[in-house]
Amino acid sequence: MAGISRRMLLQATAGAGLGSLAAPRIAHAAGDSATIGWPSDVPAWDPNQRFVPDAQSLYKMVFDQPLNQDPKLTLVGALVKKWEMAPDARSLNLEFRDDVMFSNGDKFTSSDFSWTFFDRIKAGHKVDIAQSMRKVIGIDTPTPTTAVMRFDSPAPTTPVWLAFLGSFVVPRAYMEKVGLEGFNAKPVGTGPYTLAEYQMNARIVLERNETYWGPKPALKRITVEVIKDPSARVAAIQSGQVDITINVPVREVLRLKQAPGLVGELNPITRVILLQVRNDEGFADPNVRLAAHHAIDKKALSQAFYGGAAVPLTVPATPGSPGYLDDYTFAYDPELAKQLLAKSGFSPEKPKKIRMASTNGQFPNDFDMARAIVAMWKKVGIEAELEVIEYAKYFELNRGNKLPEATLYSFDNATGDPEIYAGYLLNPKLPFSPWKDMVFGQKIIDMFNVADEKERIAGWRKLNQEAAELGATMPLLQSVQTLVRKQNLEYQRFGNGWVLGQTMRWSG
Amino acid sequence: MQLLATLGRRLLVVLPILFVVSALLFTALRVLPVDPAAMSMPPTATRDEIEAARRAMGLDQPLPQQYAIWLGHVVHGDFGRSIHLRRDVVELVRQTLPATIELALCAMLVAAVLGLAGGLLLFALRDNPAEPVAETGTTLMMSVPEFLWALLFIFVFGVALQAMPFTGRLDPGMIRPDITGFLLLDALLAGRLDILRSAAAHMVLPAFALGIAFAPPIMRVLRSSLLDVYHEDYIHQARLRGLSETRILLRHALKNAILPTLTLMGVQFGFLFGGSLLVEVIYSYPGLGNLMVDAVRNADLPIIQAVGLTYCVVVLVINSVVDGLYLTLNPRLRAR
Amino acid sequence: MIRRSLRSGRVIAGGLIVLAVLACALAAPWLAPHDPDEQNLLTTLLPASWQAGGDPAYWLGTDSLGRDVLSRLLFGARVAMSVALIAAFGAMIVGAALAYLAGYVGGWLDWLVGRAVDVWMSFPPVILSLILMTGLGTGLRNVILAIVLVDWTRFCRVLRSEVIVVARRDYVAAARLVGFSHWRTVSREIVPATIPLVVTLLTLEMGIAVVVEAILSFVGLGVRSDQIAWGQMIADGRDAIYQAPWNLLAPVLAIFFTVAGFNLLGDGLRRSLDVRMTEGRE
Repeated sequence: MAGISRRMLLQATAGAGLGSLAAPRIAHAAGDSATIGWPSDVPAWDPNQRFVPDAQSLYKMVFDQPLNQDPKLTLVGALVKKWEMAPDARSLNLEFRDDVMFSNGDKFTSSDFSWTFFDRIKAGHKVDIAQSMRKVIGIDTPTPTTAVMRFDSPAPTTPVWLAFLGSFVVPRAYMEKVGLEGFNAKPVGTGPYTLAEYQMNARIVLERNETYWGPKPALKRITVEVIKDPSARVAAIQSGQVDITINVPVREVLRLKQAPGLVGELNPITRVILLQVRNDEGFADPNVRLAAHHAIDKKALSQAFYGGAAVPLTVPATPGSPGYLDDYTFAYDPELAKQLLAKSGFSPEKPKKIRMASTNGQFPNDFDMARAIVAMWKKVGIEAELEVIEYAKYFELNRGNKLPEATLYSFDNATGDPEIYAGYLLNPKLPFSPWKDMVFGQKIIDMFNVADEKERIAGWRKLNQEAAELGATMPLLQSVQTLVRKQNLEYQRFGNGWVLGQTMRWSG
Repeated sequence: MQLLATLGRRLLVVLPILFVVSALLFTALRVLPVDPAAMSMPPTATRDEIEAARRAMGLDQPLPQQYAIWLGHVVHGDFGRSIHLRRDVVELVRQTLPATIELALCAMLVAAVLGLAGGLLLFALRDNPAEPVAETGTTLMMSVPEFLWALLFIFVFGVALQAMPFTGRLDPGMIRPDITGFLLLDALLAGRLDILRSAAAHMVLPAFALGIAFAPPIMRVLRSSLLDVYHEDYIHQARLRGLSETRILLRHALKNAILPTLTLMGVQFGFLFGGSLLVEVIYSYPGLGNLMVDAVRNADLPIIQAVGLTYCVVVLVINSVVDGLYLTLNPRLRAR
Repeated sequence: MIRRSLRSGRVIAGGLIVLAVLACALAAPWLAPHDPDEQNLLTTLLPASWQAGGDPAYWLGTDSLGRDVLSRLLFGARVAMSVALIAAFGAMIVGAALAYLAGYVGGWLDWLVGRAVDVWMSFPPVILSLILMTGLGTGLRNVILAIVLVDWTRFCRVLRSEVIVVARRDYVAAARLVGFSHWRTVSREIVPATIPLVVTLLTLEMGIAVVVEAILSFVGLGVRSDQIAWGQMIADGRDAIYQAPWNLLAPVLAIFFTVAGFNLLGDGLRRSLDVRMTEGRE
């Protein structure tokens, strides 16, 4: 008797177990919540700590920036109501909103602003904004709603930086009370959502901040699933585990478009994909550099890896941004490339040997694109040995002057400002540029101190063209953000690829 | 008591091994062509700032001194901060280790059940025409390493049949009760059956992928131990007493044949724990393995060091426990 | 010994599979229908020829750069077999040399080797090879080096106990009494007695080496990117699992067959040569 009942019990539990496993797992899209499948986690919840482009969207849901960008990337007010740069670009007057509360109930004042952008850097906190605020020599706070930033040299791009990487306001009193570890464990911001639950590298659960100063988000809860693997993100959106996801392979977007109830988008963003090049070693000869550039069929790259959606570039700036040149082209011309190489004594039979580096998985299809470029070069007489490097190693190699002749690189400039494109990518004093020639380099460096806005933009446009003609840069494509979402989940598309929970709503 | 004493002795042996392992690990990682100081700074940092960071991290000291400093901190439970994530490394390990242990235990359960069932089946097929077929089957099973099982399972159950989830530990939208870090246990403790069900569903594919790869050796050892035991006199006597074959197998033979099998499972568990790394990567399972692979990609030395050492500690502790249990359970060896 | 093993079905089956893979590796330039590195950006990710949308010119379809999967599969056998043969022999030489030395000399040397094995074995092999590859950098030579540095313990541990047993046998003692030198005793008496075990271990290690190479290439820490390796194909193919499943399935099956070949061979040898060894895998 006992035996029988035990066996029955076992069978019953086994049945229940199987039944429960087979039960539908797909959570039905609730009206007031959405799940985002995101490719990476925040590096830490202290938003000033590290410059990670992919984390900006996550931070922007919990924290606010002094200034914001609208979907077309124009600077607009946020915590800062009004801002005015002095004509010599050595000081910046700011006026703040006075209706902003941190999620712990503290009121936001100018003291929090000066803490974030000056005091905490002086206090020795290891934060990346110490780099972007390098020129700041003091922040005066005459009243709780006003501040004056002072610089040691012209800093015309400071307003842009106040809406860029890492520039999120954190609360002085709270951070001093709980310390850095405490803040990272329980972050407090002024943003439209507050952090309800966090499981590192797995999940971020955000609840709506009911006392938010700005437009109230439509959705009450946003869950961010950190899914690093692209094919896993595909599976997650396909099975309905997430409602929206980004950075899935382009071909998957084209395929998922056909699926009922899903929308696939290829959105051009402010990210440029280019080859960063050296001015010496195998690339000392301008003929070789220009031949290398002429040999690349950018349209074919776009077609093969971005479904044709990525715009081929000739200068290191994206279409629509101030530094872009509509009327300048750099031809794909393999015959010209062969002629140039022949002038220097090279041919497909007697190729010029160079080295090339690429990341693998840093951005969609990076490694494939590098391998395709190697094949294109081989046809005209450049034999490149391809090496895979980790993104973090790029700067270290460059510091030691050890980068190869060409490195496939992607540079994200959510602001669109030309200084943050060419000015960073080609400045021999900054770690991004393997181009160390000071003749051209000095022209770039000088542009940083031009205070007049018109003169500044015109100067950058001129330098952009010069760089391409010199072979100092080989821009390839404007990157696209791939995005797949449920058809009835609406969101605001931004020119820089932000995907923000506060802009989402369910339709129909 | 006996068990505890044996265990204590075993664990004492572990310490010097760990010391050597940590020294080797430290040296190997310091020879790497990466500069932790430069990596810890944002790209725009100047040379002077990097030099300052290098001094602050003690990297200007000779290697033995660096190791002594590091060891001094480690003894006090301080493994430093991650270069890339800038978080306390111990905290990172504490958050991910339970997930990996949970996966390894579930996989071990799968391996044990499949292994024991398969072993009994192989034994039952002895002297049967089907025996060579079954044995070749186990050889073929052994030829599929865990990462291929993982990919195949995703292909079949995730993509083709769409029957099972294959990323992470839980369905989206569920908030994980964080009590012990062991999700299945936490769900039970919190009384959340929905979470338990979801967590169990997410565990199925990774646990099977990992477990099935380690089952064949268990099958084989159980089979050969059973064959050995059946040569013993007491089996013969039991037959003479008229006991049924099932009773002989379960009451007498299995009891004696299980010991070598259990020992093997212990050894297997150590390997299985290391093998979890790839399965975690393939299933985006937030455990020690993913932490390690990310750290390797970012050349995050403090994490590599701490996680490498954690793997060693777990393996050594498992081995010691197995040895201790073996000696305690097997009185014949204790006399040595 | 050879004749005895040839009576085993496993040895024959395993041997044939291994020979077939080896033949593919050697004859890849003649067997492959296309240049494995020839890209065609217009025909990327074609499915297999019998699937809808397939092209009869590409039996197993093309990869994300429009290269022929079948040709790459054949050329991939070259890396797999090179690693299998060289790394396994390397691990054997290091492991066996230390085992003979430790087992025969005994004393503090034996103690030292024993402790070294303990330290090594406390590292899960995957973790250790990952750490080694981080330090060594990618490339075929470093993959082989890493496997040798990780897997010598497999030989050393098993062989050492066998050597100790053999060294105690009467005929070895007799050889010493007769006045044979140490070298002669080891090379003439002890090594031959352990050959069946070494051969078996070697065969199994080759299968392991294939898997390790695939794992390392899979996580991007294996051979250089311009070398064709199955692990790399798996990593590439994972992203195309929906459109061109054979990008993933073909290298998975190739690894399975190769490893199965080595395992059948090793297993058959173990039985027919009556080698006693502990089971275990990782």
